[in-house]
Amino acid sequence: MSIVVNNITKEFGNFVALRDVSLEIPSGGLMALLGPSGSGKTTLLRIIAGLEVPNAGSIVIDGEDISTQSARDRSVGFVFQHYALFKHMSVFENVAFGLRVRPRTTRPAKSEIQDRVMTLLKLVQLEHMAHRYPSQLSGGQRQRVALSRALAVEPKVLLLDEPFGALDAKVRKELRRWLRRLHDELHVTSVFVTHDQEEALEVADQIVVMSQGRIEQVGSPEEVYHHPATPFVYHFLGDVNLFHVRYEDGAMVVTEHNGHSGNGHAKDAGVGFVRPHGFEITRLAESDKAIPARIVHINAAGPYVKLELAGEQGGLFQVSVTQETYKGLALKRSDDVFVTPREVRVFEHDYAI
Amino acid sequence: MPLLMKRHSVLPGFGLAAGYTLLYLSLIVLIPLAAMALRAAQMPLGDIWKLLTDPRVLAACKLSFGASFAAAFLNMIFGLLVAWVLVRYSFPGKRIVDALVDLPFALPTAVAGIALTTLYAPNGWMGAALKPLGIKVAYTPLGVVVALTFIGLPFVVRTVQPVLEDLDREIEEAAASLGATRFQTFTRVLLPAVLPALLAGFGMAFARAIGEYGSVVFISGNMPMKTEILPLLIMTKLEQYDYVGATAIGVLMLVISFGLLFVINALQRWSGARAAAH
Repeated sequence: MSIVVNNITKEFGNFVALRDVSLEIPSGGLMALLGPSGSGKTTLLRIIAGLEVPNAGSIVIDGEDISTQSARDRSVGFVFQHYALFKHMSVFENVAFGLRVRPRTTRPAKSEIQDRVMTLLKLVQLEHMAHRYPSQLSGGQRQRVALSRALAVEPKVLLLDEPFGALDAKVRKELRRWLRRLHDELHVTSVFVTHDQEEALEVADQIVVMSQGRIEQVGSPEEVYHHPATPFVYHFLGDVNLFHVRYEDGAMVVTEHNGHSGNGHAKDAGVGFVRPHGFEITRLAESDKAIPARIVHINAAGPYVKLELAGEQGGLFQVSVTQETYKGLALKRSDDVFVTPREVRVFEHDYAI
Repeated sequence: MPLLMKRHSVLPGFGLAAGYTLLYLSLIVLIPLAAMALRAAQMPLGDIWKLLTDPRVLAACKLSFGASFAAAFLNMIFGLLVAWVLVRYSFPGKRIVDALVDLPFALPTAVAGIALTTLYAPNGWMGAALKPLGIKVAYTPLGVVVALTFIGLPFVVRTVQPVLEDLDREIEEAAASLGATRFQTFTRVLLPAVLPALLAGFGMAFARAIGEYGSVVFISGNMPMKTEILPLLIMTKLEQYDYVGATAIGVLMLVISFGLLFVINALQRWSGARAAAH
């Protein structure tokens, strides 16, 4: 079921967490709210769940304005970063909780609760853990229990607040692929909050990039990665190198960025953004666009070789090349090379990192 | 011994620490209590039985344990409430209220007894107000309960407070988003989580109340068969140079208290075990 966020503003004292945010989440989608800490993503999620009250704006789920409803009436499943399991209840009781607390008229029969909980535990592959207590489970297992507990009440929408944030890297990767598969099976409209761009790019259908209480861009993973709408999005999704860009006789001239933003040259057209893989690296200057640099560090582990280069003006930039290029050029530390930016994305106004 | 010595532990000094603990407990607790039991054992069994089934001793026993239980129970409920308010809300003067809770610890209990008696005596502020309602507090068992409640309050508040502080707000939010009402959240989620601490506080308040003497003797009026507590009976025996009789009552108190505290500890262990070993 679709979620519509209309002009939500939220202030905590003097701090503005969300500024007039509007968003539409299509039915059955899996959407990521991506942004650094303090960008307001968790606050937005909590407002949708009814755990936080906005200063202005409304939330509409499935065509119904639920702004004035309390959290318990919204039938929204919420998964917390630190699981928030009930420690004194077994796994089974945790999952059954949402069904047990229903008023007698809508509460399912005991046998039905039993069936439904066991079906859910099977779905999250924890049916043999039903009688364990949360403290006897690993982090990944606890989060799966939390997820099945949220799903047990058959929520209209599922909200996940940094669901994998407290897990170690390997479990996190496994679990997010598993979440993707689970979503493809269940098709319940889901929104998850993350500060990990890789996680958002891998799992979500749609990504909402947020910064300082505002939405910077909404789009598919390809769109936000390859066509960032703002310098912030460019910067946040993956590594990036900054260059000064100016135009001389209609031709773009890319020069080294000295690390300061806006050094006042009238001819500056702005800042050029280049991804680490958007460079040509050569031993000799093949054109006047080539920028001289020296290799200061090489990391050859992995599918690509990551080079750290120092420019003549002291600026550092990250370049990644294929293993073939690396071996072909026989690059070593302290070698002098030339780099030519291939794909430069220019934003008109200077942008401070 | 050599076999035992070879078991190295990451935490060093077990032998020293355990030895010290045993010595300390022996000197401070076990030896005096054993001496008391030995002293009581000088009395022929038949005499002990006669003494302990004396109606006056039985009445005092009932009052001591009954009033202590009632006071600890009251403290369990209202102590939880005080701890909840202190943890969950911020209000002007919160620190002062927090400090007030410890006052019964610091005050000489005789002072508390005199103050309570003055207040609750038929001509005191509270006593005069309650009189038209037909409620008499001072010089009745109710007065004993009031005094014991006063001295036991900090135990429950101070044991429950840290547990409430550690309780994650998120578990309440989780319960709410799963459709639980506030009442259901309290009874099914919060109460089970604080129950072990609550029982521990109850146990301590109860134990403290059984041993209390100073505050009760003022407010109870010490009428034999009516408002006489066991510690007072022991004092009376001592004043009559009946040392053996006094120690016999002491041993009786000891045995009952130990049994009750053991049960409370077991309950606490059981409710804690349901939250599973960490």
